[in-house]
Amino acid sequence: MSSGPSLIRSVKEIPPIDYYTSGHRTCAGCGAALIYRLVTKAAGPNTILIGPTGCMYVANSHQFLTSPYAVPWYHTQLGAGGAAGIGIAAALRALMVKGKRKPEDINIIVFGGDGGFADIGFSGLSMALTYDYPRLLYLLYDNESYANTGIQASSTTPWGATTTFTPSGKVKRIGNERYKKNMALLAAAHPKIKYVATATIYPPLDLMNKVIKALNSGGPSFIHVLTPCPKGWFYAPHETYELARLAVETGMWVLWEYSEGKFKLNYKPRPRKHVKEYLRRQGRFAHLTDEEIDMIDKMVEEEWKYWLESDKLGKIILPW
Amino acid sequence: MSAVRPVPPITIEKPVAKVWTGARAIAEAVKLADVDVIAAYPIRPYTGIMNAIAAMIADGEFQAEIIVADSEHSQFEVVKHAAATGARVFVGSSGVGLMYAYEAMLVTGLGSVPVVGVVGTRALDDPGNFGMEWTDAFTTRYFGWLISWPRDVQEALDMVLVAYRVAEDHRVLQPHFVALDGAALTHVAMPVYPPTKKQVTEFLPPYRPPYRIDPMDGPVTKAQHIAPSLIGPEQRKRIDVAMLKAKEVIIEAWKDYARYVGREYPPFIETKWMDDAEIALLSMGAYMKDIELVVSKLREKGLKIGTVRLRYLRPFPAEELVKVLSGVKAVGVIEFGFSFGSPYRTGPLYHEVATALYEADERPKLLDFLFLGGREPKPEHFIKAAEMVNELAKGKTFEKKAYWLTLRGEDI
Repeated sequence: MSSGPSLIRSVKEIPPIDYYTSGHRTCAGCGAALIYRLVTKAAGPNTILIGPTGCMYVANSHQFLTSPYAVPWYHTQLGAGGAAGIGIAAALRALMVKGKRKPEDINIIVFGGDGGFADIGFSGLSMALTYDYPRLLYLLYDNESYANTGIQASSTTPWGATTTFTPSGKVKRIGNERYKKNMALLAAAHPKIKYVATATIYPPLDLMNKVIKALNSGGPSFIHVLTPCPKGWFYAPHETYELARLAVETGMWVLWEYSEGKFKLNYKPRPRKHVKEYLRRQGRFAHLTDEEIDMIDKMVEEEWKYWLESDKLGKIILPW
Repeated sequence: MSAVRPVPPITIEKPVAKVWTGARAIAEAVKLADVDVIAAYPIRPYTGIMNAIAAMIADGEFQAEIIVADSEHSQFEVVKHAAATGARVFVGSSGVGLMYAYEAMLVTGLGSVPVVGVVGTRALDDPGNFGMEWTDAFTTRYFGWLISWPRDVQEALDMVLVAYRVAEDHRVLQPHFVALDGAALTHVAMPVYPPTKKQVTEFLPPYRPPYRIDPMDGPVTKAQHIAPSLIGPEQRKRIDVAMLKAKEVIIEAWKDYARYVGREYPPFIETKWMDDAEIALLSMGAYMKDIELVVSKLREKGLKIGTVRLRYLRPFPAEELVKVLSGVKAVGVIEFGFSFGSPYRTGPLYHEVATALYEADERPKLLDFLFLGGREPKPEHFIKAAEMVNELAKGKTFEKKAYWLTLRGEDI
């Protein structure tokens, strides 16, 4: 009999209680707020949340001293997400081992943005993933830019996206010319890491169950969650969920997990939709030509050969 | 079986001296304080402290989580979060390493998390330099940390234990570091009388923060983004008042330390030969031993000179200093920090002292002696400083306020 954690099998089984509630003032259609809600539902009440600076810091508690969190929450500096989780995990272990606190399973979830984890806090995150503290989840909500400061490129901004630091101009037309950093592959490069996954808000149960698996994996874990952002991606707020679905169905966002050294694809688009269905819905790619969009599609097509091969082998092959 | 039963030996509790370096003594203090979480990252000269702690933990001498961080920034963030969760913590750094941690130090101070650590003071880069300067520690004056400065290894050990008591007091709840003059204190071995575990347990109650980042304490939200119009100044005022209250807590703590451990210190300022002194040399830290030696010789020659040693930089004992220096004609400030382009091209300790003395009814004249770039001062430099201060007291006018006595070439 499997001794794995009990997963959520249908929408009806989603716990009705929210630990991320009213009192925040995120944008209409905010993908990250939806992630916060689903993830905290999956984690339950015995959870500590850490919020490195970013959208989910400024928007969640600004102005009127309100707090949307029904569990302990502590701000940490933009580059300190990795260290913050380790500090709390080390404190809980020391206090429990030394008999200064009742032994108990407590989840620690650090919600870092792409700036916080892929750029300034990358070193600290990597340090954290080399330790062995259980129930310590680093969750990257990746809206592909520094969104709360007004949409500046990060190292997870995709090729061709306009941001205020990488605008599409008369001479430099493409906008962002760097390729998106694959944070989940980087996390998987830490030997003996228990659990790494990618997710988005589609399908929601996939995200929630990955959180449950990560927290029960017995070590630090990492989930890279693609997070549609109406403000930074330039689409209508009601299309957030739709954008997440299209990212997955066009194969631009690959849903996979890497558990105890075993790689598995969670979704194989059959047939894969052309990336234009995803990209043409977003204003940040409006300046790209059809040829450029086709070029991206070819790149995705090429990468998928390796994703499918990795799935067959159960091992990670770099898809480029 | 022998007919004669062994007589149990009569034990007389007497303190046993150990010969320890500053680094080792601090590690022993950390063990005595039953610290729960330690975060380490190497940089000379403070590294020896962490080496000693790591060896103790590896040998099972005491139990704690020791985190080897990826940077000083992470190191200070690790302990900040551990302390906010309810663990007693220890951290430290030196020189540019400490500066790498400034953001984390700042939020620890402004977030009122009672972390305790040490700074092994070191000259700053560039160029890299193993010498001793104070600018790494002095630049943290704005961060809401208490700062104390021991003279010798014994006092360093005692100060770390007192630092936990003061920082964790609910009237204070601010972080605290002890600044050890790099090499001169961290690496010099001296006889030390460590307190017993029992004495420390009586002196230092367990760390009990008012609320923790722990589900057991309910849904605490800490450090949310705020509107300046709502609690901007009020939040800063809490720290201002904590520093004010810290002065009474420090006095109480040292009184209690003397009661439980049997070693007495004046809380803020230690003076020697000041009863009838007309001039004084003022400084902090390990070089006070050399300064005091020089002054004792000058006293033998009939010069009415004394020494003033500040034990705390934050909170700064301004009123106490005015009292100590009232009636003194001239004071020489001996320091190892820089602030280029500052008023009269003086150093940061001078600025502190001059600000404090501005409120005195009769202000002594001041001269600043800067020992920069890590070149070690010798007794002859302190003799020279004393002679210049004596001339100042007698009415000689000096062209400048600050003199670099170890400088080769012209002191422009």
